[in-house]
Amino acid sequence: MAAEEDSGEFYLRYYVGHKGKFGHEFLEFEFRPDGKLRYANNSNYKNDTMIRKEVFLTPAVLKECRRIITESEIMKEDDNNWPEPDRVGRQELEIVMGNEHISFTTSKIGSLVDVQSSKDPEGLRIFYYLVQVRFEVLCILSYLTPLQDQAYLKNE
Amino acid sequence: MPKLKSAITGGASVSLSGPKKTKGRGFRQDDADRHSHLASRDFDSIGSDGGPGPQRSIEGWIILVTGVHEEAQEDDLHNTFGEFGEIKNLHLNLDRRTGFVKGYALIEYEKFEEAKNAISAMDGAELLTQTMNVDWAFSNGPSVGASKRKNM
Repeated sequence: MAAEEDSGEFYLRYYVGHKGKFGHEFLEFEFRPDGKLRYANNSNYKNDTMIRKEVFLTPAVLKECRRIITESEIMKEDDNNWPEPDRVGRQELEIVMGNEHISFTTSKIGSLVDVQSSKDPEGLRIFYYLVQVRFEVLCILSYLTPLQDQAYLKNE
Repeated sequence: MPKLKSAITGGASVSLSGPKKTKGRGFRQDDADRHSHLASRDFDSIGSDGGPGPQRSIEGWIILVTGVHEEAQEDDLHNTFGEFGEIKNLHLNLDRRTGFVKGYALIEYEKFEEAKNAISAMDGAELLTQTMNVDWAFSNGPSVGASKRKNM
Protein backbone atom coordinates (compact mmCIF):
# COMPACT_ATOMS: atom_id res chain seq x y z
CA MET A 1 0.00 0.00 0.00
CA ALA A 2 1.25 3.45 -0.83
CA ALA A 3 0.51 4.63 2.70
CA GLU A 4 3.18 2.35 4.12
CA GLU A 5 5.81 4.12 2.11
CA ASP A 6 5.51 7.48 3.69
CA SER A 7 4.38 6.89 7.21
CA GLY A 8 5.35 4.81 10.20
CA GLU A 9 8.55 3.33 11.41
CA PHE A 10 11.44 2.47 9.13
CA TYR A 11 14.48 0.40 9.94
CA LEU A 12 16.74 -1.69 7.77
CA ARG A 13 19.69 -3.91 8.64
CA TYR A 14 21.78 -6.00 6.31
CA TYR A 15 24.52 -8.41 7.32
CA VAL A 16 26.75 -10.67 5.25
CA GLY A 17 29.57 -12.63 6.72
CA HIS A 18 31.30 -15.84 7.55
CA LYS A 19 33.77 -17.27 10.01
CA GLY A 20 36.88 -18.66 8.47
CA LYS A 21 40.59 -18.43 8.07
CA PHE A 22 40.60 -14.70 8.63
CA GLY A 23 38.30 -14.68 11.61
CA HIS A 24 34.76 -13.38 11.55
CA GLU A 25 34.63 -11.40 8.36
CA PHE A 26 31.48 -9.43 7.93
CA LEU A 27 29.84 -6.38 6.55
CA GLU A 28 26.84 -4.92 8.27
CA PHE A 29 24.89 -1.72 8.05
CA GLU A 30 21.82 -0.27 9.66
CA PHE A 31 19.46 2.43 8.56
CA ARG A 32 17.87 3.66 11.78
CA PRO A 33 14.56 5.49 12.17
CA ASP A 34 16.26 8.75 13.19
CA GLY A 35 18.29 8.74 10.00
CA LYS A 36 21.54 7.38 11.39
CA LEU A 37 23.35 5.01 9.06
CA ARG A 38 25.80 2.76 10.88
CA TYR A 39 28.28 0.65 9.00
CA ALA A 40 30.75 -1.94 10.22
CA ASN A 41 33.21 -4.03 8.28
CA ASN A 42 35.46 -6.55 9.95
CA SER A 43 38.21 -8.76 8.71
CA ASN A 44 41.45 -10.07 10.09
CA TYR A 45 42.88 -10.45 6.62
CA LYS A 46 46.30 -8.79 6.64
CA ASN A 47 45.59 -7.86 10.24
CA ASP A 48 42.84 -5.45 9.29
CA THR A 49 40.88 -4.05 12.15
CA MET A 50 37.21 -3.30 12.35
CA ILE A 51 35.93 -0.31 10.48
CA ARG A 52 32.96 1.41 12.09
CA LYS A 53 31.38 4.49 10.63
CA GLU A 54 28.19 6.35 11.19
CA VAL A 55 26.56 9.28 9.48
CA PHE A 56 23.14 10.86 9.45
CA LEU A 57 20.98 10.56 6.36
CA THR A 58 18.29 13.06 5.53
CA PRO A 59 14.59 12.14 5.46
CA ALA A 60 14.82 12.40 1.66
CA VAL A 61 17.23 9.45 1.62
CA LEU A 62 15.08 7.35 3.94
CA LYS A 63 12.06 8.09 1.80
CA GLU A 64 13.87 6.84 -1.29
CA CYS A 65 14.97 3.71 0.60
CA ARG A 66 11.39 3.00 1.52
CA ARG A 67 10.31 3.45 -2.09
CA ILE A 68 12.91 1.00 -3.32
CA ILE A 69 11.95 -1.55 -0.70
CA THR A 70 8.25 -1.19 -1.41
CA GLU A 71 8.85 -1.51 -5.14
CA SER A 72 10.89 -4.68 -4.64
CA GLU A 73 7.98 -6.25 -2.74
CA ILE A 74 10.45 -7.98 -0.43
CA MET A 75 8.04 -7.47 2.45
CA LYS A 76 5.64 -9.94 0.83
CA GLU A 77 8.26 -12.68 0.67
CA ASP A 78 9.22 -15.33 3.20
CA ASP A 79 12.56 -17.05 3.75
CA ASN A 80 10.98 -20.42 4.58
CA ASN A 81 12.28 -22.09 1.45
CA TRP A 82 15.51 -20.20 1.08
CA PRO A 83 18.82 -21.99 1.60
CA GLU A 84 19.89 -21.96 5.22
CA PRO A 85 23.08 -20.16 6.24
CA ASP A 86 26.03 -22.54 6.04
CA ARG A 87 29.79 -22.73 6.51
CA VAL A 88 30.33 -20.65 3.40
CA GLY A 89 28.42 -17.80 4.86
CA ARG A 90 25.32 -16.08 6.01
CA GLN A 91 23.17 -13.13 4.98
CA GLU A 92 20.59 -11.39 7.06
CA LEU A 93 18.06 -8.82 6.04
CA GLU A 94 15.87 -7.20 8.62
CA ILE A 95 13.35 -4.53 7.74
CA VAL A 96 10.71 -2.71 9.71
CA MET A 97 8.23 -0.81 7.61
CA GLY A 98 4.96 0.43 9.02
CA ASN A 99 3.60 -2.37 11.17
CA GLU A 100 5.51 -5.16 9.44
CA HIS A 101 8.83 -6.57 10.57
CA ILE A 102 10.71 -9.12 8.51
CA SER A 103 13.91 -10.86 9.52
CA PHE A 104 15.25 -13.14 6.80
CA THR A 105 18.33 -15.30 6.91
CA THR A 106 19.94 -17.24 4.11
CA SER A 107 23.28 -18.39 2.82
CA LYS A 108 25.54 -16.33 0.62
CA ILE A 109 24.34 -16.19 -2.96
CA GLY A 110 27.11 -16.38 -5.51
CA SER A 111 25.08 -15.69 -8.61
CA LEU A 112 21.75 -16.07 -10.31
CA VAL A 113 22.56 -19.73 -10.88
CA ASP A 114 22.21 -20.28 -7.13
CA VAL A 115 18.91 -18.39 -7.23
CA GLN A 116 17.52 -20.42 -10.13
CA SER A 117 18.37 -23.75 -8.51
CA SER A 118 16.84 -22.90 -5.14
CA LYS A 119 13.42 -23.97 -3.89
CA ASP A 120 12.06 -20.44 -4.14
CA PRO A 121 13.74 -18.82 -7.14
CA GLU A 122 11.27 -15.95 -7.42
CA GLY A 123 11.50 -14.88 -3.82
CA LEU A 124 15.23 -15.36 -3.64
CA ARG A 125 15.69 -13.36 -6.80
CA ILE A 126 13.96 -10.40 -5.19
CA PHE A 127 16.29 -10.70 -2.23
CA TYR A 128 19.33 -11.09 -4.49
CA TYR A 129 18.67 -7.92 -6.45
CA LEU A 130 17.67 -5.90 -3.43
CA VAL A 131 20.89 -6.63 -1.56
CA GLN A 132 22.93 -5.51 -4.54
CA VAL A 133 22.46 -2.18 -2.85
CA ARG A 134 25.20 -3.05 -0.38
CA PHE A 135 27.74 -1.94 -2.98
CA GLU A 136 25.85 1.31 -3.30
CA VAL A 137 26.05 1.96 0.40
CA LEU A 138 29.80 1.44 0.40
CA CYS A 139 30.27 3.63 -2.63
CA ILE A 140 28.27 6.40 -1.03
CA LEU A 141 30.14 6.07 2.25
CA SER A 142 33.41 6.41 0.37
CA TYR A 143 32.39 9.93 -0.62
CA LEU A 144 32.17 10.85 3.02
CA THR A 145 35.25 9.31 4.50
CA PRO A 146 38.26 7.43 3.30
CA LEU A 147 37.58 3.73 3.82
CA GLN A 148 40.47 1.43 4.50
CA ASP A 149 41.35 -1.36 2.14
CA GLN A 150 38.11 -3.22 1.63
CA ALA A 151 39.85 -6.56 1.80
CA TYR A 152 36.73 -8.48 2.70
CA LEU A 153 34.68 -7.22 -0.20
CA LYS A 154 37.51 -7.80 -2.66
CA ASN A 155 37.61 -11.42 -1.64
CA GLU A 156 33.94 -11.97 -2.49
CA MET B 1 8.23 -7.19 21.19
CA PRO B 2 10.94 -8.82 19.07
CA LYS B 3 14.38 -7.35 19.68
CA LEU B 4 16.32 -6.07 16.75
CA LYS B 5 19.58 -7.93 16.69
CA SER B 6 22.71 -6.56 15.18
CA ALA B 7 26.39 -7.38 15.09
CA ILE B 8 26.95 -3.66 15.29
CA THR B 9 25.00 -2.84 18.38
CA GLY B 10 24.86 -6.27 19.96
CA GLY B 11 21.23 -6.06 20.82
CA ALA B 12 18.17 -3.94 20.76
CA SER B 13 19.22 -0.33 20.78
CA VAL B 14 16.53 0.78 18.41
CA SER B 15 13.12 0.97 20.00
CA LEU B 16 10.09 0.11 17.97
CA SER B 17 6.75 1.64 18.68
CA GLY B 18 3.84 -0.73 18.76
CA PRO B 19 3.50 -4.39 17.91
CA LYS B 20 4.60 -5.55 14.47
CA LYS B 21 3.58 -8.39 12.20
CA THR B 22 6.70 -10.51 12.12
CA LYS B 23 7.97 -12.92 9.51
CA GLY B 24 11.20 -14.79 8.88
CA ARG B 25 13.70 -17.27 10.25
CA GLY B 26 15.62 -14.49 11.94
CA PHE B 27 13.06 -14.45 14.74
CA ARG B 28 13.49 -18.15 15.36
CA GLN B 29 17.26 -18.19 15.45
CA ASP B 30 19.64 -16.66 17.85
CA ASP B 31 23.37 -16.54 17.58
CA ALA B 32 24.48 -15.31 20.95
CA ASP B 33 28.09 -16.04 20.19
CA ARG B 34 28.11 -13.57 17.34
CA HIS B 35 26.49 -10.81 19.39
CA SER B 36 28.93 -10.93 22.25
CA HIS B 37 31.98 -10.72 19.99
CA LEU B 38 30.78 -7.83 17.99
CA ALA B 39 28.89 -5.50 20.26
CA SER B 40 30.48 -2.15 20.00
CA ARG B 41 29.84 1.42 20.95
CA ASP B 42 32.80 3.07 19.26
CA PHE B 43 31.81 4.34 15.89
CA ASP B 44 33.56 7.05 13.92
CA SER B 45 30.94 9.71 13.55
CA ILE B 46 31.03 11.58 10.32
CA GLY B 47 29.88 15.07 11.14
CA SER B 48 27.23 15.19 13.81
CA ASP B 49 27.80 18.35 15.73
CA GLY B 50 24.22 17.74 16.71
CA GLY B 51 22.78 20.73 14.92
CA PRO B 52 20.23 20.45 12.16
CA GLY B 53 21.62 21.02 8.69
CA PRO B 54 23.47 19.41 5.83
CA GLN B 55 26.71 17.52 6.30
CA ARG B 56 29.80 18.04 4.20
CA SER B 57 31.52 15.15 2.42
CA ILE B 58 35.24 14.76 1.65
CA GLU B 59 35.28 16.91 -1.47
CA GLY B 60 32.21 19.03 -1.02
CA TRP B 61 28.47 18.75 -0.64
CA ILE B 62 26.26 15.91 -1.81
CA ILE B 63 22.67 16.24 -2.91
CA LEU B 64 20.15 13.52 -3.58
CA VAL B 65 17.97 13.63 -6.69
CA THR B 66 14.98 11.30 -6.70
CA GLY B 67 12.31 10.69 -9.30
CA VAL B 68 14.94 10.34 -12.01
CA HIS B 69 13.39 9.03 -15.21
CA GLU B 70 14.35 5.43 -15.85
CA GLU B 71 15.87 6.23 -19.24
CA ALA B 72 17.85 9.21 -18.03
CA GLN B 73 21.55 9.20 -18.76
CA GLU B 74 24.44 10.83 -16.97
CA ASP B 75 24.59 13.44 -19.70
CA ASP B 76 21.05 14.54 -18.93
CA LEU B 77 21.99 15.13 -15.33
CA HIS B 78 25.25 16.86 -16.23
CA ASN B 79 23.38 19.17 -18.57
CA THR B 80 20.74 20.00 -16.00
CA PHE B 81 22.79 20.21 -12.83
CA GLY B 82 26.06 21.40 -14.30
CA GLU B 83 24.85 24.96 -14.51
CA PHE B 84 24.97 25.39 -10.74
CA GLY B 85 28.63 24.59 -10.44
CA GLU B 86 31.23 22.05 -11.38
CA ILE B 87 30.02 18.54 -10.61
CA LYS B 88 32.79 16.78 -8.69
CA ASN B 89 31.02 13.43 -8.58
CA LEU B 90 27.89 12.07 -10.20
CA HIS B 91 26.51 8.76 -9.09
CA LEU B 92 23.61 7.39 -11.11
CA ASN B 93 22.78 3.88 -10.07
CA LEU B 94 21.45 1.30 -12.49
CA ASP B 95 18.99 -1.36 -11.46
CA ARG B 96 20.87 -4.57 -12.17
CA ARG B 97 17.65 -6.42 -12.78
CA THR B 98 16.05 -4.08 -15.31
CA GLY B 99 19.03 -2.27 -16.76
CA PHE B 100 17.25 1.02 -16.26
CA VAL B 101 18.17 3.76 -13.84
CA LYS B 102 17.24 2.92 -10.26
CA GLY B 103 15.53 6.27 -9.82
CA TYR B 104 17.96 8.33 -7.81
CA ALA B 105 21.25 10.10 -8.30
CA LEU B 106 23.83 11.61 -6.02
CA ILE B 107 25.60 14.74 -7.14
CA GLU B 108 28.55 16.34 -5.41
CA TYR B 109 29.48 20.00 -5.69
CA GLU B 110 32.54 21.61 -4.20
CA LYS B 111 30.74 24.61 -2.74
CA PHE B 112 27.80 24.75 -0.37
CA GLU B 113 26.20 27.56 -2.37
CA GLU B 114 26.32 25.54 -5.57
CA ALA B 115 24.54 22.60 -3.96
CA LYS B 116 22.03 24.87 -2.27
CA ASN B 117 21.22 26.62 -5.53
CA ALA B 118 20.77 23.30 -7.30
CA ILE B 119 18.31 22.20 -4.63
CA SER B 120 16.34 25.45 -4.74
CA ALA B 121 16.14 25.51 -8.49
CA MET B 122 15.58 21.85 -9.28
CA ASP B 123 13.43 20.50 -6.49
CA GLY B 124 10.10 19.85 -8.19
CA ALA B 125 11.48 20.45 -11.67
CA GLU B 126 11.04 18.03 -14.55
CA LEU B 127 13.57 15.86 -16.33
CA LEU B 128 12.37 13.95 -19.39
CA THR B 129 8.80 14.86 -18.39
CA GLN B 130 9.18 13.33 -14.92
CA THR B 131 9.22 15.40 -11.72
CA MET B 132 12.35 15.24 -9.62
CA ASN B 133 12.89 16.02 -5.98
CA VAL B 134 16.21 17.38 -4.84
CA ASP B 135 17.51 17.64 -1.29
CA TRP B 136 20.61 17.21 0.83
CA ALA B 137 21.73 13.62 1.32
CA PHE B 138 23.60 13.85 4.61
CA SER B 139 22.78 15.59 7.80
CA ASN B 140 24.74 16.45 10.90
CA GLY B 141 22.10 15.36 13.34
CA PRO B 142 19.13 13.08 13.78
CA SER B 143 15.91 13.88 12.03
CA VAL B 144 13.34 14.04 14.75
CA GLY B 145 9.96 12.72 13.79
CA ALA B 146 11.18 11.98 10.29
CA SER B 147 8.63 9.26 9.89
CA LYS B 148 5.87 11.77 10.49
CA ARG B 149 7.16 14.30 8.02
CA LYS B 150 4.94 14.91 5.06
CA ASN B 151 6.10 14.80 1.46
CA MET B 152 8.83 17.33 0.97
